[in-house]
Amino acid sequence: MPNPIFSLLDVERSYELRGSGWFRAPSRQLKALDGVRLEVQRGDTLALVGESGSGKSTLIRLMLGLEPASDGRVLYGQRDLAQLDAEAKKRFAREVAFIYQNARGSMNPRMRIEDILAEPIRLHQLCVEREIPARLESLLLRVGLPAGLLQRFPSELSGGQIRRIAIARALASEPEVIMADESVAGLDVSVQAQVLNLLRDLCRESGITLVFITHDLGVASYLCEKIAVLYLGRIVEQGPTDAILNTPRHPYTRALLQAFPRFDMPLKASLSGEIPSPVNLPKGCRFAGRCPQVQAACRETDPALTALDAGRQVACLFPVAIA
Amino acid sequence: MTEALNVTALTRESQWRRRLLQPMLRQRSAMVGLAIIAIYIFAAVFAPWLATHDPTAQDLMASLQGPSAAHWLGTDSYGQDLYSRLLYGAQLALIIGFASVALGLAVGVAIGLAAGLMGGRTEWVLMRIVDGLLAFPELILAMAFMAVLGLGTENVVYALALSFVGPFARMTRGDVLQVKSQPYIEAARMMGVPTAAIIWRHVLPNVVSPILVQAGMRISIAILLESGLSFLGIGVVPPTPDWGLMIAEGRGFITMAPWISGVPGVALAILLVALNLLGDGLRDAFDPTTQKDA
Repeated sequence: MPNPIFSLLDVERSYELRGSGWFRAPSRQLKALDGVRLEVQRGDTLALVGESGSGKSTLIRLMLGLEPASDGRVLYGQRDLAQLDAEAKKRFAREVAFIYQNARGSMNPRMRIEDILAEPIRLHQLCVEREIPARLESLLLRVGLPAGLLQRFPSELSGGQIRRIAIARALASEPEVIMADESVAGLDVSVQAQVLNLLRDLCRESGITLVFITHDLGVASYLCEKIAVLYLGRIVEQGPTDAILNTPRHPYTRALLQAFPRFDMPLKASLSGEIPSPVNLPKGCRFAGRCPQVQAACRETDPALTALDAGRQVACLFPVAIA
Repeated sequence: MTEALNVTALTRESQWRRRLLQPMLRQRSAMVGLAIIAIYIFAAVFAPWLATHDPTAQDLMASLQGPSAAHWLGTDSYGQDLYSRLLYGAQLALIIGFASVALGLAVGVAIGLAAGLMGGRTEWVLMRIVDGLLAFPELILAMAFMAVLGLGTENVVYALALSFVGPFARMTRGDVLQVKSQPYIEAARMMGVPTAAIIWRHVLPNVVSPILVQAGMRISIAILLESGLSFLGIGVVPPTPDWGLMIAEGRGFITMAPWISGVPGVALAILLVALNLLGDGLRDAFDPTTQKDA
């Protein structure tokens, strides 16, 4: 086994829900993540796929060290993220970059683009002050933007430009891992394609490890070699992209695939109902309530993530047979 | 290449214009206020050259005189020249106004930043202290403080500054809490930006404009309070040329020589109106929700 760059060992993240009023209702727990086990190898491109509320964003925030795990451990290399010393924290900050879903909001509105991009460079002293302008220009060139934008403020750029600036900022610290949260959601298809191509080229050329959150399986399949499907705070299926897309073994993955609009097929709503509340988790399989092929045993036993074949894991008692 | 350079220089300049200068120039009343304040500042700075008499020279032979060629605005009961006292009074009023607001702003903003950024117990303690300060009306607080410190120009500055700490602290904390939850703060933290740099580069620039607007408005309050304190006899020490003192001195002669109180009173009123016009204009210029097409 090569050394994984990130390993999550049965990570849990729960939030305490306090009752309100004079007589406090007994506090309940919301489990945003429940026993997630995941390994990211160096050079991997991994997509985290799932509906809203499936815990994708929580998972990535845990991996970034923005939130502590309630239980379990998040390892970066060999070390626990919660126990990094100042030196290691600084290295982690340089090596792992995050691209926010809200790219504009992640930039100080009172700073010029040049200062925004130069901040990580100055911070980690990646080059001498006098080389910074050239460095910034090459960064902009890499993300396909003209150097004239350096003097602008974030509010003056378009949605596509600002996301590319966000990518440029992530690249500025010369990271080994880039994490991106819905970085193309809500963009025009043409701009989306540009941003996706940009990310893909970056990963291929510089061997950057990419962890990409998306709810769009099409985006995931284009960009990433591996996919992990999340449902209600748990990974229900993971494996190589083409295997998952061609032969989904978990009913949820299959339903997601069917919900994907295609040119030549009528669209049918394959998933009925909403994702249940993570406060009152049903006993047994958490997908049982919406599963088209639910059986009696599903309501009793909570399936664990088990290996099927090469690099393929499914959490289902009765995996869909390969068609 | 030169062309490209020009373009960037141009955008940089027009940026500044569009964000600051133009919205302000568009506020006509603010510009009027600014012009009046400029005249006051001119008078204050050049008081030694503009004055015709020593502002504290008494000439009992020439007391209670109306405006004349020798004393342009008349004299008071001690025969002091009102025109000269008015000029030096402007100096004092502006110095006290700016100094007390600057001091109150520095302390208040520091408290507000600390409370907003640290949170928890620190915030609770700091904000309860601020609540205590805010519980008293400004004039009462300043009076109480003057009673403890004793008379004097410096003490007036301290007393007024203290009464301004509360409002500035409360406002800064509110803005900091709002800015703190913005993603760019978290992004900076995640990139490993040191806390001091986050405060200096990311938090302060985003809370500074409402604070400055508030400061502009507070200056007029400060001058009014200072005059009030002096009028009540617990401000600066006579015979310092101070408008509040001058108004108080003229009170007894209001029927015989109305100009003794009237001259500083009118000067004070005009300055306050001008400061308020400028303050309103600044607020409108910086706050996009109140921007109108004028």
